[in-house]
Amino acid sequence: MQTKYKVGLLRVNLLVAALLLAVLAIATTTLTEALLLGLAASWLVVTALLLAFNHRRPAMVPWQLLPGLLLAALLWVNPERHVTWLWVWAVLLMLPQPRWILVLEALLAIATWWPLRDLLGVEQWVLSGLLLAALMLIGLSRALDLRSLRRNTLHRARLVPGLSLWPGNRLTHDLAVERARSHREGAHAELLLLHTSRHHCWALAHRLCRLTHRFEPCYRLDPHTLAVILITRTRGEADTRREALWHHLGTGGQGRAIALPALESLEAERQALRRQAGDLEVIGAPHDA
Amino acid sequence: MPERRRHSRRLYAAWYASGALMLLGMALWLYLMGAYERMPLPAALSLLMLVATLLSLSREDHSRLAAYLGLVCGYLLIAVELPRQEGLPALWVGLPPVLTLLLLPLGPAMLLNLTLTPIWLALLGNMELERDMLLGYLTLVVVAALVPWEQVRQHALLRATDPRDPECTAVGHDTLHEQLANEAERASLLGQPLAVMLIHLPQLEMAEEQFGPRARQALLNSLCQAVGRCCRDHDTLGREAETTFWLLLPDTTESGALFMQQRLAQALEQVNLMETGPVEARTRLYRPRMDESRQRFEQRLQADSQRLADG
Repeated sequence: MQTKYKVGLLRVNLLVAALLLAVLAIATTTLTEALLLGLAASWLVVTALLLAFNHRRPAMVPWQLLPGLLLAALLWVNPERHVTWLWVWAVLLMLPQPRWILVLEALLAIATWWPLRDLLGVEQWVLSGLLLAALMLIGLSRALDLRSLRRNTLHRARLVPGLSLWPGNRLTHDLAVERARSHREGAHAELLLLHTSRHHCWALAHRLCRLTHRFEPCYRLDPHTLAVILITRTRGEADTRREALWHHLGTGGQGRAIALPALESLEAERQALRRQAGDLEVIGAPHDA
Repeated sequence: MPERRRHSRRLYAAWYASGALMLLGMALWLYLMGAYERMPLPAALSLLMLVATLLSLSREDHSRLAAYLGLVCGYLLIAVELPRQEGLPALWVGLPPVLTLLLLPLGPAMLLNLTLTPIWLALLGNMELERDMLLGYLTLVVVAALVPWEQVRQHALLRATDPRDPECTAVGHDTLHEQLANEAERASLLGQPLAVMLIHLPQLEMAEEQFGPRARQALLNSLCQAVGRCCRDHDTLGREAETTFWLLLPDTTESGALFMQQRLAQALEQVNLMETGPVEARTRLYRPRMDESRQRFEQRLQADSQRLADG
């Protein structure tokens, strides 16, 4: 509840920031600056619209590059007017982003600070450079804190709070555990792989979580592929259940069900799924079953 | 996690120290330039930064106090130096809000930034620039705050999606209850027995008070490791409360659970920690009664956990 509230507030803040930038864009005199500020405002609006409280999309590289590039452009085009924004470099480093973007932003910060020499006079130029470097170090240390937390957590965290939808890298381990467990319990377990278009995948994942039992974990292997481990008492039950599930899901793509005893390599099955012509193929256990 | 905090604390200490050095250098520079009346402020502030450095290095957590000291230094320096700068006021007005956002958590930082707005603008007082400057300043404050916001969101998201307890490898409270519901459903569907072992670590509270956080962590780790050694992969250890844990044992009969209880007791007996000595654990076994709904079973477990924790 409280976290939802936070996302709402962040969205409001994004929109207010976009509004203020738009006002600044109108107030400026030259077209280039107005365009840059307008672009920044629209970037914020789109970010506000895409914002959601889950791990659905990792931010894409061009998307993360844009704020840095816009800031640099603004400082190059009219340093006299926008020089206040120089300090934002320190804050920008706090965002979780790949290491090379951090390096690039640091270089851009130097490249935008360097030309200010004539504008500021040597004494202030040196002072501001030192201060900026110090601030950027704090920003960086805060970014590194978050980054190590993300690295330690993301591989095991669910994709949506409260939903049994897990990242694909857990599947191999969970399959091994489930194979041993269902063998002991004498239950029938099978892996169902689903392939669908990128566009439908997220909605399908939600439907999959809703239509399966709570103890059957779902996984997102990549933007096209979902997986779920289905557990039933007998093989016959599994067949009827799978048919019904397939009918209700309406995936619009391919599906492949593999009984866990028959599963040799997950990678091979994923490739087979991609090449598969039919709608739903079932790979049963070897003859002993 | 404490490792990480210590690491970043050292980084902050280095930062305050370099701030102190910079202020000292500035005082020296002013002295050499012959501006004697401007010299005392940076010299005094460098002492303040030195205090901040020592505070952030100290064993207890004074990081917030150190941050405020650093902030006060920055503010005073800007407030005194700025009105007399021949340079660009537009450059310097951006520094205080960014410094605030970097040193303080988002909430206090925003509050401070917005309250201080009139002061900065008055200090930089330049009538015809006023309106532009105000707009620029506010935009900067709002836009720069987005980045800490994103960090807050990421932290909250990781907390909400991480199945693990923040302190140890057991699963967290919410995931534990979900897992119990899952296992109960699976057990009833497949017609299998389910057992839950309640584990209470009475030493946990005292350990921190008497021997510090490391002793507490050692206790938690030894429990998680002992459970890892003697349980099957699909048994789930979860943290119900500060000192109580539930161990979910699916497909386990009464005798199987008793056997597991013995093995765990033996595994814990072998552990002898440096500060707290042998690990003391009180365990009890529970099984859903006939016709007992999952909710009732869960309530019974919770009530007994509470009673056990209260002694």
